[in-house]
Amino acid sequence: MSQSLRPYLTAVRFSLQAALNLSNFSSQEVERHNRPEVEVGNTSAELLLQPMHIARNEHEQVLIEPSVNSVRMSIKVKQADEIEQILVHKFTNFLEQRAENFYVLRRVPVPGYSISFLITNKHTETMITEKLIEFIIDFMEEVDKEISEMKLFLNARARFAAEAYLEQFVY
Amino acid sequence: MLHLKPHNLLVQKTLTEALEAYNNGSPLTLDRIISDYDYTTLHITNDDGDKSSLLVSIRTKATQSCNETGSDLKGFLEQKFEEAPGLALSGDKKEAGYDFTVTVNLSQITAESIVQVSLFKILVMSYPFYLAFGQSTHFSQLNEVDQVEKSKEATAMVIKYRDDENIYIKPSFDRVTVIFETIFQDETDKVFGKVFLQEFVDARKRNRFIQSAPQVLFSHEPPLEIQQVARQHASTAADKKSSRRFITFVLFPRHYASDELMFTSISQLALFRNYFHYHIKCAKAYMHSRMRYRVDTFIKVLNRAKVDDEGESESRRTFTGRKMVY
Amino acid sequence: MSYLNNPAVVMDNGTGLTKLGFAGNDSPSWVFPTAIATAQSGKSSGTGSKTSGFGASATAQSSYVSGGGNSTSATDFNSLASSTLISNNLAGKRGTEDLDFYIGNEALVASQGPSYSLSYPIRHGQVENWDHMERFWENSIFKYLRTEPEDHFFLLTEPPLNPPENRQQVAEIFFESFNCAGLYIAVQAVLALAASWTSSKVTDRSLTGTVIDSGDGVTHVIPVAEGYVIGSAIKNIPIAGRDITLFIQSLLRERGEQDASLRVAERIKQEYCYVCPDIVKEFNKFDRDTEKFAQFIVENKEKTSRKVVDVGYERFLAPEIFFNPEIASSDFLTPLPVVVDETIQACPIDVRKGLYNNIVLSGGSTMFKDFGRRLQRDLKGIVNDRIAQSEKLSGTRSTGVDVSVISHKRQRNAVWFGGSLLAQTGEFKSYCHTKQDYEEYGPDIVRNFSLFNMI
Repeated sequence: MSQSLRPYLTAVRFSLQAALNLSNFSSQEVERHNRPEVEVGNTSAELLLQPMHIARNEHEQVLIEPSVNSVRMSIKVKQADEIEQILVHKFTNFLEQRAENFYVLRRVPVPGYSISFLITNKHTETMITEKLIEFIIDFMEEVDKEISEMKLFLNARARFAAEAYLEQFVY
Repeated sequence: MLHLKPHNLLVQKTLTEALEAYNNGSPLTLDRIISDYDYTTLHITNDDGDKSSLLVSIRTKATQSCNETGSDLKGFLEQKFEEAPGLALSGDKKEAGYDFTVTVNLSQITAESIVQVSLFKILVMSYPFYLAFGQSTHFSQLNEVDQVEKSKEATAMVIKYRDDENIYIKPSFDRVTVIFETIFQDETDKVFGKVFLQEFVDARKRNRFIQSAPQVLFSHEPPLEIQQVARQHASTAADKKSSRRFITFVLFPRHYASDELMFTSISQLALFRNYFHYHIKCAKAYMHSRMRYRVDTFIKVLNRAKVDDEGESESRRTFTGRKMVY
Repeated sequence: MSYLNNPAVVMDNGTGLTKLGFAGNDSPSWVFPTAIATAQSGKSSGTGSKTSGFGASATAQSSYVSGGGNSTSATDFNSLASSTLISNNLAGKRGTEDLDFYIGNEALVASQGPSYSLSYPIRHGQVENWDHMERFWENSIFKYLRTEPEDHFFLLTEPPLNPPENRQQVAEIFFESFNCAGLYIAVQAVLALAASWTSSKVTDRSLTGTVIDSGDGVTHVIPVAEGYVIGSAIKNIPIAGRDITLFIQSLLRERGEQDASLRVAERIKQEYCYVCPDIVKEFNKFDRDTEKFAQFIVENKEKTSRKVVDVGYERFLAPEIFFNPEIASSDFLTPLPVVVDETIQACPIDVRKGLYNNIVLSGGSTMFKDFGRRLQRDLKGIVNDRIAQSEKLSGTRSTGVDVSVISHKRQRNAVWFGGSLLAQTGEFKSYCHTKQDYEEYGPDIVRNFSLFNMI
């Protein structure tokens, strides 16, 4: 793990720990509704807390938007070039297709980010918060690894295919 | 599967079955459509009234432009099919809607003739290649001044084998240049394609085992050899110009030194686009399986966070471990 | 766009057999087992099937992720590609083992060797292993059909009650991996109905009817109303082709025939069996007329040895297990006509007449001579009894129910053939979802397909 990644992840971990302090909260506007306040788009200061923005560099950032009963967390995955852009897009799309299995995954990322999670008080009630954070940290580490591995694979495969093709012309 | 084979497996299978059935005395009634790469459709039917012969017709996008490159595509095919027993290109009674029809005489054909028929599409596409190889050999026999002059004069031949992708072939006294125009519809493919094409260019430099393979070049602009011709055809896809790429194969005389070598070179080249699109697709498929695996591991990690919602203390169990239901 | 002239590709991937071909043909171009033989090596099991691979252990995981190190499969692959020149160079390259596989009959052959393991990606009609299925399709398209998926429309089939998520996965593969031009996913039973339109008995070309689909493993009775499957009423019968073969084998063994192998039993099933109107009478007929007995001659390949197997009562007894299951099985005792009747009775009352009226057979195990006739007679009996009783009880006259079972020449590959019929119509392409649609709306789009209009 590189030098700057560790503090970055630690910062995310502690910020999440601080943010994931959720309680059941009924909507103040609509009777008998209970909705994630962070998604509703109100500006009430008592419901929406100050968003936290953690950046490792301009390509890798995390935005944590806490509210009284939900936290929205968005990750910008490193995309150094065109290929990584496509790969990140493919991969996050693939995950979002299977969002049901992930409970906390948002089907659409917040604009400007690659992938978003929405954690509500329902989730913190049925899941161990500490483990949930662990999942997100694990996710952040693995995504980078996966993208770079896929990129390597693509290059290796392209090379293999090209050599195999040209080899047919060796008489 | 690593390489695509030049012959059409399905044509081969169908004809082999037809031959077997004929030899067993119960000829098949056939009316089959078979497809091949690059807008090619083959049609196998019985000859009216004559149980011992079949008609194989082909329609392919490339025919028209191949025909324009030389004077006698039909004659060329006629000769190609005559070499194999039991085959004959029917000159006058070609099937309506198709470009060429071959009559297959089941009482005479051999396994080789079946292969020849299954190469039908490649044979059509090979005509301009053969012409170019012929011209190149011809130029090389001239004196030094003429060699250069004639090579300069020679115009590039165009095979319009797909909607907006063409193959250009330009003969010269010491080489034959084959240029593929490629265009990608899909964003992902565009990026992946770039990686693949770049590797084609680099492969020869890196790997000393394939030094003798044709030289490969890659450019965004039409290479000099074909600038004149390309300009004529560019009008159709001017709007897509940005994603247009040119990949050039430079064949040296050793790649077309004998008939056999010519044919292998041609069949590889004719399949070039299919080959690398196939590999882009394989790469995507492999990534899908990687991602499926990733999803599984992520879910496993996430599930560790779940609290076991079955309150163990509340449900009572029998002695054998079954759950009590009230 | 010239892909409009290209024939659509019709693929019917069943549990046992896959049928591939082009729309407009009267039979599938390829019929082979839905099997895939993948390169086997202890370390790369991460790519393997879910059962063995994914659950395995951390070691499997790490080797999958790093994707490398398994020299065995890579070298095998290179010798296979007959590339002696670069084999040394490529042996260490990672990530080529996913190209090293065979499908269909070649898979069966390859799996006999030590380096490949065989698996069947479809179970009970539904795709279980998507990794294998994706590669199966990849090879089907590029090797066997020789098509560039970008230039063709595809018609795929799915079993009734297939979850929509599976459809989405299919769309994801076909649009993202293969960039296919357009896709239509049809329910197998509906295609089987469409296939029956070729029969001269069919006059109105409706998509209402009961489909009896009997393959090798299981028999389904599926009611379809106006193109929609009535899922709640579907019934399964655990008697199908394999049970008939086994029954024949057991009869041969009891008699002590020279050769009672499964292969012989299967040949006898295909060549000699038929459905009789009445077993008792048929037994008498056999006893009176010895010409009814047949002989089946088994020769080995070199034609050196000859075994003669007598074929007797099993000619009509074997298919009889559909109508009198008690002669072969002890746990399933409901005859097929009764199951069909129960199925239709479980459907809404306003479609029942249409369902009785159009009972369509599909699959190899419905190919026995007079199968349809017997089914129709038995079912008529049940229906008439019920009508007679209700007339007696209510004292009114019934208008009667017309029972008709339709058999036709294309029964064996009815599903594929129905697909071929529909996909060659001019309107087919307008019913498909195209790549552009997919990119605009995402995979959800394949949850709905518009139905074919009745022509």
